Amino acid sequence: MHLFWEELRAAVPLIFHGNPQLMNIIWFTLQVAAVATAAATVIGVPVGLAIGLGQFRGRRAMQFAANASLGVPPVLVGALLFVLLAGHAPLASLQLLGTRRVVFIAQTILALPYTVALTAAAVQALPPGLLTQARALGAGRWQVWVLAVREARIGMVAAVIAALGSSLSEVAAIAILGGNIYGYNQTLASATLFEVSGGHYADALAIAIVLIALIFLLMCTLGALQQQGNGIRLRFRPAT
Amino acid sequence: MSDSSPRRALLRAEAVTVRRGAREVVHGANLDLHAGEIVALLGPNGAGKSTLLDAVCGVLRPVSGTIERHGRVAIALQAADLARRSAVANITTALGWWGVPRAQRADRALRALEAMGVAHLAQRQTTTLSGGERRRVHLARVLAVEPDILLLDEPFAGLDAEVRANLLQDTLSALRSDTRATLVVVHDRAEAWALADRLLILIDGRLVAGGPPREVLEHPPTLAVARFLGYDGALREGDETVLTRPANVMLDPDGPLRARVTRAVPMEDGARIELTFDQGRVYAVAPLPAPRVGDEVRVRIDRGARFPSA
Repeated sequence: MHLFWEELRAAVPLIFHGNPQLMNIIWFTLQVAAVATAAATVIGVPVGLAIGLGQFRGRRAMQFAANASLGVPPVLVGALLFVLLAGHAPLASLQLLGTRRVVFIAQTILALPYTVALTAAAVQALPPGLLTQARALGAGRWQVWVLAVREARIGMVAAVIAALGSSLSEVAAIAILGGNIYGYNQTLASATLFEVSGGHYADALAIAIVLIALIFLLMCTLGALQQQGNGIRLRFRPAT
Repeated sequence: MSDSSPRRALLRAEAVTVRRGAREVVHGANLDLHAGEIVALLGPNGAGKSTLLDAVCGVLRPVSGTIERHGRVAIALQAADLARRSAVANITTALGWWGVPRAQRADRALRALEAMGVAHLAQRQTTTLSGGERRRVHLARVLAVEPDILLLDEPFAGLDAEVRANLLQDTLSALRSDTRATLVVVHDRAEAWALADRLLILIDGRLVAGGPPREVLEHPPTLAVARFLGYDGALREGDETVLTRPANVMLDPDGPLRARVTRAVPMEDGARIELTFDQGRVYAVAPLPAPRVGDEVRVRIDRGARFPSA
């Protein structure tokens, strides 16, 4: 306990003195979280909608895969991607290992199952009569999708929150793929690991405090948006 | 069952057979719907009413037979599922799907809400509406699109008696139209009598009776139809069986038949009694003071449906 207070006392000034190294890590973390969450949303939401609303061969298999991949350990994903990208592997020519780009890619891949599986679940949880009635009144495919998005918005925001959480806190895959290179491609989570491994507990604690504060701030903001009235007021057309 | 109404036929189904999955649910149904009429489709659970409705509106394709539609069909499904928006927004959105120009949507939506007695709820979020109010908005939505053929799947299901009675009254006036044909699936006979100009009875996937409600009720064509319509008593008379409903059985001191009361279930204003004869057993509703079990009473049978004894 004594050690903890000692390290905490040393960590607080690191946070408030605007350590440039820490600022770089925060900035890179925010970039990774934003890009990975946005990419996972742009790719995952339409796929989740297709799984939730579509009637095509392989739909159940896709949903099973999305649900199952929620439980796959990130370290396994990192290891698999490493095997594909290293040495003489099929994707080695891309020369992604140890780069910043691979961190973005890995976090996007890890965030994707959240947006796919939770979006599919959100639209599947809608009252079945709602969409059938819309079709019966002449709604086309896109109109049904718009209705589904509007009605499932709370669940879909939850999907984005989960993806963001994954992007902020995941460490194993990016450490394997990016190499956790000091001052280059570290996120707050991987930097915490790096500092702990090096025995720099005060630095690790400072980074961890910033990470927790960031997660808390972003999650509260999205949570407030989710709870606002009946959820976020998405307007696809002017109110009539 | 079809009739020979002189009004314009908006829908004609001939020998329609419909499957759900591998199971044949509707067998060779013939059905006409004419402008200006309200037809009630009545049948026991699992008879195939909703399946026939789905085929009529085009959701299910018949495996054989033909369905001719003259005009646009709209259906109000049984579940009154509404979007989490205002009541009026639900309707204007539906009008958009239907292809109504934007400028006309708000007026039409408000007219439909007014017809269903819920214009005052136009701006309310549907999540705050009661079950009966949601049902009214649901019906207003399908009325607003002004289809040529309107299909309603059990529009009063799941409502308590008082709400249902009020809704039934308002729906009846809202449904009346000289140009529209309406087919409404109902589970309750009282709803059918209240709404319909014509009644169709579907049992085991077959349309087995059709015609004006009173005519179908008084002259059921088969034993199965009679039983479904509430003929719960049976008396043998020679080589015929007379089926009766409680309304056909009168307690009358001068009645020609003598019976013994074998069961009595108290009701609000009397009792439902079981009367046993040598020739069979019938049921009647007796006013207060109702006879008791074991009493002998004189009985008169008015009408009843006659069938050859098996």
